[in-house]
Amino acid sequence: MKHIETDILVIGGGATGTAVARDCALRGIPCVLVERTDLAAGTTGRNHGLLHSGARYAVKDFESAVECITENRILKKIARHCIEETGGLFVSLPEDDPAYHEALVQACRRADIPCREIDASTALAMEPNLNPAVTRAVTVPDATIDPFRLASANALDASERGAQILTHTRVTGFLLDQDAVAGVRCLDRCTRETFKIRAKVVINASGVWGQELCRMAGIELIMFPSKGAMVILDYRINNVVLNRCRKPADGDILVPGDTVSLIGTTSRRIAYEAISDLRVTDDEVRTLLKEGERLVPNLSRTRVLRAFCGVRPLVAASPGETHGRNITRGIVLIDHQQRDQVKNFITIAGGKLMTSRLMAEKAVNLACRKLGENRPCRTAAIPLPGSEKPISPGVRALPFSESVAQSTYYRHGQRADDILEDSDGGTGLICECEMVTSREVAYALKHLHVKDIVDLRRRTRIGMGPCQGLFCAYRSAGAFIEHRHTDGTDATKMLIDFLEERWKGIRPVLWGDTLREAEFSYWICQGIFGLGKTVASSPGRGEGVCLADEFE
Amino acid sequence: MIDLDNTSFDRCIKCTVCTAYCPVARVTPLYPGPKYSGPDAERMRIKTPFLADSSLAYCNNCKRCETVCPSGVRITDFISLARSTRLKKHHRIRNFLLSHTDLAGFFTTRLAWPANFLLGLGPVKTVMGLFLNISAKIRFPAYASGRFSGELKAQTRIQKAFGEQVLYFYGCYVNYNFHDLGRDVVAVLNAMNIGVIAPAQKCCGVPLIAAGNLARARKNANANIQNLAAAVKETDQKIVFSSSSCILTVQQDYPELLDMDTSAIDGHIEFITRFLYKKFKAGNLPALKPLNLTAAYHSPCHLERTGGVMYTIEVLRRIPGLQLTLLHSECCGLAGTYGFKKEFDTIAEDIGQPLFRQIRATAPDVVITDCEACKWQIEAHTGLQVLHPISVLAMALAKS
Amino acid sequence: MRMNLNNSTDYDCLIIGGGLSGLACGITCLSEGLSCAILSSGMSALHFSSGSVDLLGYFPEATVVADPFDALPRFIDMHSEHPYARCGINTIKEALSFFRQEMAKADLPLHENHSRNHFHVTALGTLKPTFFSQQSVFNQEIRSVIDRTPAITIMNIQGFRDFHPGLAAANLKRHKLFSACDIQCAEMHLPEKEKNPSPVHAMRSIDIARLFDTMDPDEIARHITAACPDGDIVGLPAVLGIEHHNAVLDRLREKTGKIIYEVPTLPPSIPGMRLDNALKSRFAAMGGVFIQRETVEKGTIADGRVTSIRTKNQNDTLTAGFYVLSTGSFFSGGLVSRFDHIEEPVFNLSLARSPEARCLGSENFFARQGHAFLSAGVITDEAFHPKTPAGETVENLFCTGAVLSGYNPVNQGCGGGVAVATGYVTGRRIVRDFYAITNQRQGYPDLP
Repeated sequence: MKHIETDILVIGGGATGTAVARDCALRGIPCVLVERTDLAAGTTGRNHGLLHSGARYAVKDFESAVECITENRILKKIARHCIEETGGLFVSLPEDDPAYHEALVQACRRADIPCREIDASTALAMEPNLNPAVTRAVTVPDATIDPFRLASANALDASERGAQILTHTRVTGFLLDQDAVAGVRCLDRCTRETFKIRAKVVINASGVWGQELCRMAGIELIMFPSKGAMVILDYRINNVVLNRCRKPADGDILVPGDTVSLIGTTSRRIAYEAISDLRVTDDEVRTLLKEGERLVPNLSRTRVLRAFCGVRPLVAASPGETHGRNITRGIVLIDHQQRDQVKNFITIAGGKLMTSRLMAEKAVNLACRKLGENRPCRTAAIPLPGSEKPISPGVRALPFSESVAQSTYYRHGQRADDILEDSDGGTGLICECEMVTSREVAYALKHLHVKDIVDLRRRTRIGMGPCQGLFCAYRSAGAFIEHRHTDGTDATKMLIDFLEERWKGIRPVLWGDTLREAEFSYWICQGIFGLGKTVASSPGRGEGVCLADEFE
Repeated sequence: MIDLDNTSFDRCIKCTVCTAYCPVARVTPLYPGPKYSGPDAERMRIKTPFLADSSLAYCNNCKRCETVCPSGVRITDFISLARSTRLKKHHRIRNFLLSHTDLAGFFTTRLAWPANFLLGLGPVKTVMGLFLNISAKIRFPAYASGRFSGELKAQTRIQKAFGEQVLYFYGCYVNYNFHDLGRDVVAVLNAMNIGVIAPAQKCCGVPLIAAGNLARARKNANANIQNLAAAVKETDQKIVFSSSSCILTVQQDYPELLDMDTSAIDGHIEFITRFLYKKFKAGNLPALKPLNLTAAYHSPCHLERTGGVMYTIEVLRRIPGLQLTLLHSECCGLAGTYGFKKEFDTIAEDIGQPLFRQIRATAPDVVITDCEACKWQIEAHTGLQVLHPISVLAMALAKS
Repeated sequence: MRMNLNNSTDYDCLIIGGGLSGLACGITCLSEGLSCAILSSGMSALHFSSGSVDLLGYFPEATVVADPFDALPRFIDMHSEHPYARCGINTIKEALSFFRQEMAKADLPLHENHSRNHFHVTALGTLKPTFFSQQSVFNQEIRSVIDRTPAITIMNIQGFRDFHPGLAAANLKRHKLFSACDIQCAEMHLPEKEKNPSPVHAMRSIDIARLFDTMDPDEIARHITAACPDGDIVGLPAVLGIEHHNAVLDRLREKTGKIIYEVPTLPPSIPGMRLDNALKSRFAAMGGVFIQRETVEKGTIADGRVTSIRTKNQNDTLTAGFYVLSTGSFFSGGLVSRFDHIEEPVFNLSLARSPEARCLGSENFFARQGHAFLSAGVITDEAFHPKTPAGETVENLFCTGAVLSGYNPVNQGCGGGVAVATGYVTGRRIVRDFYAITNQRQGYPDLP
């Protein structure tokens, strides 16, 4: 059996795992990352994309708040192309308790979070789509962060500096050396190949999946999975982050994210077994839309693109914790040698998207101590690939049109220079909704650890616009054949898998123009392409289908 | 910040039908098509307000995209707004001259003969082409001496003597260039015992909108709404239009694109053929003699956009002896002032070719169309006479 | 030109919706002397259809039908709510025959395989059963040479993003019929396009189709041959021209000596547009008035009859002897869905499914049975008269095509067939009723 040797193995390709890989690579420590599905496929890719000012936590969780504001500043420097500095508002409506507004302002001041109290008309001037019933508001330095970009940039930096990134690779067991972890056994889900990875230190950054992972090493790590649902609107109905100024409840936050807006979130405890089969319920959709309308009344007239949910990887800080919202979201760093007498194994959990860099720093520091290394962490100082310089607003990349150029720079920062200059990639658009060029797709296929169309979507935004992949999925399948020489049958499977993945988010919001779009897509995919009659998609997908039909 | 009143781009389901029927996209690879320029780019523009593709300039405002859209997206509104607010303005003098038709008309109708002479001269056209970027290929429509408004006002007493009256929005073409059409309108209506009154009016503003000068267009719109509302308030009469572009602009662009309040005049505006159709159906049909003419009807893009072609066809069908062929709908290419602009004149010519071929293959005696720009374009490229439906009807009036 | 036979209304027959069924109905009415107008809210679903007419493709679920007329009696027995059950098999035959004749008059010959289904190859290399196809998509010639294991080339045009031979080839090879054939992929060049590569305006099917209409077919033939000298059969995406596709196809076959066929792909569908053009030109030639941009906002029903309709664009009231609602499904706006209910927006007609029904989609996108939204629609009686919510049958209103409930056009493979059959039978009924009312033609033949 093939095997790989390395110093640090990190399990989990979310924001934290990729940050760990990057941190190691920047310190010059050999590192391998394994990820069960794809980068940012877990909780990292299923949240609001909010770069908190920290104000939200200032009231109840002072430590978290301070962490937030510090990391907020760091990320704005090193990940500038992943971030949009929208600013934010905490908005009070007539039914909201004025005491919360007061408490918020005071807490922000204590935590050194810049904020300003403004009246209703100022708030409406800042955000004209805001509910005109707003009574007053507080400005905060909220921003938005694209978690896919962050994870992708982390991984790109890591691999350019020597780390190995292995996606679609599942850990099937640990290599144990008496009371020490020595590595893992893996399955490459694409090639079905099994192999071993031997490492001096293993870091578990697998988020909510940590419970089942640790069990394989004979360690008990209890997670409290808490489901959070989100609904995506077709376009940006707000330009600043809008927070409801009240005790945290469902549907509190409306976040502008690139070309769309997201209303979220909810909080429902779920059984651990359910974490890989998450559904958004009718109830959740109803609640989110209702609350969202309170912030921006026009939401009721806006097309809803899709609904999705993620699982908060809440770790029991201490036994007996049961309530989703109030379990500490603080960073949990576990040295399993101390806690469970298992050497060379670390878990980094809890925290949130925006503290992922800090979490990685803590984890790698601990790993380095175990390795007897003392190379310093450099991740706060060195910009991610693409974030070296701010992008000038009127950037143009002939012969591409202004909107296309702008979109590409927005997604890839400085790297868009290389992307758009590569004429091998052709000149057309693969995704017209989000203006993704064939050159960007070619670049992603070559450099960004893409194994299928769902991965491609995360790196480039294809399929994330109004048509939810109808045109770009087919064109992307073609791109795989062209650039990767993917077999036609595999490309067909990818296409089906991608469309089924999109469908999961469309089905809970199937009405209005979203239903029209789905009908249109179904007519093309089934009526014109007969996709459902090709080879079945991946096993366990549900409907096995027959081969092409018989005719006499 | 987005204008919440127009979020129709939200309804776009990316079917691409608009781009399939866009005549500009058909002939030039420099225009990405209405789907891109309208709903696709609008989602981007919301995020990045200053963003506007330079390719937006190519849209000729024919509105065929809106006519064919199954989702009711107001595509050209997005394009017009983005053009006017965000594109750098080029050819300012030329655009000023071409879009301020009232101003141009004021002078040229006083000096019609010299104006027409000069505008027809080769060297003048060359100079206009070089310095003003006005196409040298286009023949300017001849200016008339004096204005139609004066002629009609002089008849007020006579017109008021008829059984009922209508208000007539004649538009710049009738007013400054072609009084005959106005006379035909009056003749037909008078033959139906209906008098024609001219309310005070300015250019409807469509060339201003095309030039991206929405502020000035709003001024004209405001004046027109006020004048028409005042005229209608006393009399509750209908306001008939003979130009398909004028009526589209007043009925649709005023409230939707320019955000004007047209409630005072909405229910009163009718295209002349619709007005006549309703009268014919109610029994008021003037005495007509058989024409013995073969004609091909070309439906103007803007009339298609308003859904008004039905009435023109039904009016034409009631003219005895008129052998009518309905041409398959195509854009003539001129698109108002578009084809006069040098940078677009070849595009305008190319767009019209399928229509001209169709006309030549049909070989009618005359071509009929409701739009003055279509008339100029078809006359220039086929050499056939092009008449307004009202003029054909006027020809068929039996002498009393 | 035709005047109204009955002068108090605007038209004898007013059809709301200008898609396949609306036009089929309109042509039927015009063929018997009625005056007819169609009001269409933009272009129809034909623009993304395959351009073929599917009669009955799959019955029972997911099983291919080889002989639709053989299967129809059992099908109708099992689906008593299906529009076919209400038409009757003889009428369906008549409708298809009439339709084919009319399309031939509009220069769009439609081919069939001796009243049986034939297959056409899809862009994903599957075989789709259908009943009528245009010449370029009708594959019987291929069927007859397949036993000689010809060399098949699936060819794209360079720069066209909406067709990928590799996908078609891979799946085609898995089919028993083609497993022994040599299937290759190739790419041809069209120098006209390459002179003007534009990242601003990427090539769609419509752009290439226009090139095929205007370029010298001999030159195109040379490029095809250059790209695959050895192929016996060449499959191209469906772009062989809109105006002159028949002539182009013939010439290409002649010059290359190969069997050339078209594969429908992503919209805009060129074969669909050809069908749309043929229908509209036939309609116009017979005296019909087709309004491309008009939405009927509301229709007024009193005492079980439509008294008038109100148009949105013109804001006008129109009346007719008979009204036909051919407004299509959700895509075309014939059915509207909101967060918590679905409705028929013009007359507020009764729907088959409870209007509060949510979750109109199946668990999987490619579920065998399809999705509930495909069979949503209005309920009608045997003669296709709908009902108001109060349960009243509307006597002078008919419903045709995709606005009807009780059938699944995709998963049963009967979309085109239902459109044509219901459009035709409705047209015939209107003609019969019209002449009965106006007493203008005695003894008009009865309809089933």
